[in-house]
Amino acid sequence: MNGRNDERGEYRLTGSRRKWTVLALLTLAAAGLMSPWASGSPDGLERVAEDLGFVDREAAIHALSPMPDYEVAGIPWEAVRVGLAGLIGAVVMAAVLWAALRALSGKNRQAEMK
Amino acid sequence: MHIPDGYLSVQVCLTTTAAGAAAAAYALRRTRMELTSSQAPAAALTGAFIFAAQMLNFPIAGATSGHFLGAALAAMLFGPWAAAIIMSTVLIIQAVLFHDGGITALGANILCTAFIGSFVGHGVHQALLRLLGARLRAVSAFAASWVSIVAASGGVALLLALSGAAPFGAVLPAMFGWHALIGIGEGLIAMAVVQYLTERSGSLAKAGAHA
Repeated sequence: MNGRNDERGEYRLTGSRRKWTVLALLTLAAAGLMSPWASGSPDGLERVAEDLGFVDREAAIHALSPMPDYEVAGIPWEAVRVGLAGLIGAVVMAAVLWAALRALSGKNRQAEMK
Repeated sequence: MHIPDGYLSVQVCLTTTAAGAAAAAYALRRTRMELTSSQAPAAALTGAFIFAAQMLNFPIAGATSGHFLGAALAAMLFGPWAAAIIMSTVLIIQAVLFHDGGITALGANILCTAFIGSFVGHGVHQALLRLLGARLRAVSAFAASWVSIVAASGGVALLLALSGAAPFGAVLPAMFGWHALIGIGEGLIAMAVVQYLTERSGSLAKAGAHA
């Protein structure tokens, strides 16, 4: 609803700094504070796998993930293990995407100037 | 709906890895052409929000749980190609750092949740916006998100059937059924965020200066 779609849609991304700050705070709260209290029930795919009897096919190909199951090892409190993993993930996510998308969109601008 | 290692057959893993890599490479080219540099920080923040929201599994009918997917949300805000890149990045980080979703199933997860989710969400949203108009844009956002997650679950069902994990006639209705319920949460979250983060063009002429 922005960029190329501006001509078609009447709505576009907000430029309000306050709103994007709220989204950032919401992200940190969800990743760091709310994540330890998420439901531990099997998700939709796991539920289907159990019901249809192919859940045993699951195999661990590698054990190299630094934070398996969204937990930082070596901390006695589960809520802290999960919350910290969530915060690290959210920050890594924003950093990787920002670097990648800035590089991509930067090239875009140069291409347009030619 | 992250497919773990082992659910898919070797042939399906190889095919989806190749197809997922090709699709992601093409999406990078399209994103390079379409995403403006002022949108990059907003898109990165939205990706972090989607990652965080995906951690919050909500219980469904006492038997299962669902979590936000976010492909339709990203597509409604940034277009389907950038959304596919955002979602692929989420999936790669989840698989590598958190062992959520298999490495051998990464291509399959990228095709189903990043590409099917983003493009179905975008297509349904555009069609409904035209059909229903701006007044009912919240309804369009909700429906696009609901359809996108159900469609993505259909893609997963197809790959599971092709892998011989379960017959298509059994796994498709099972995946559709649960994700039709999970889709309600998906739709509500995406609808709220789209309503919050978009505004009428021209209502705030100076908005660009802040972006």
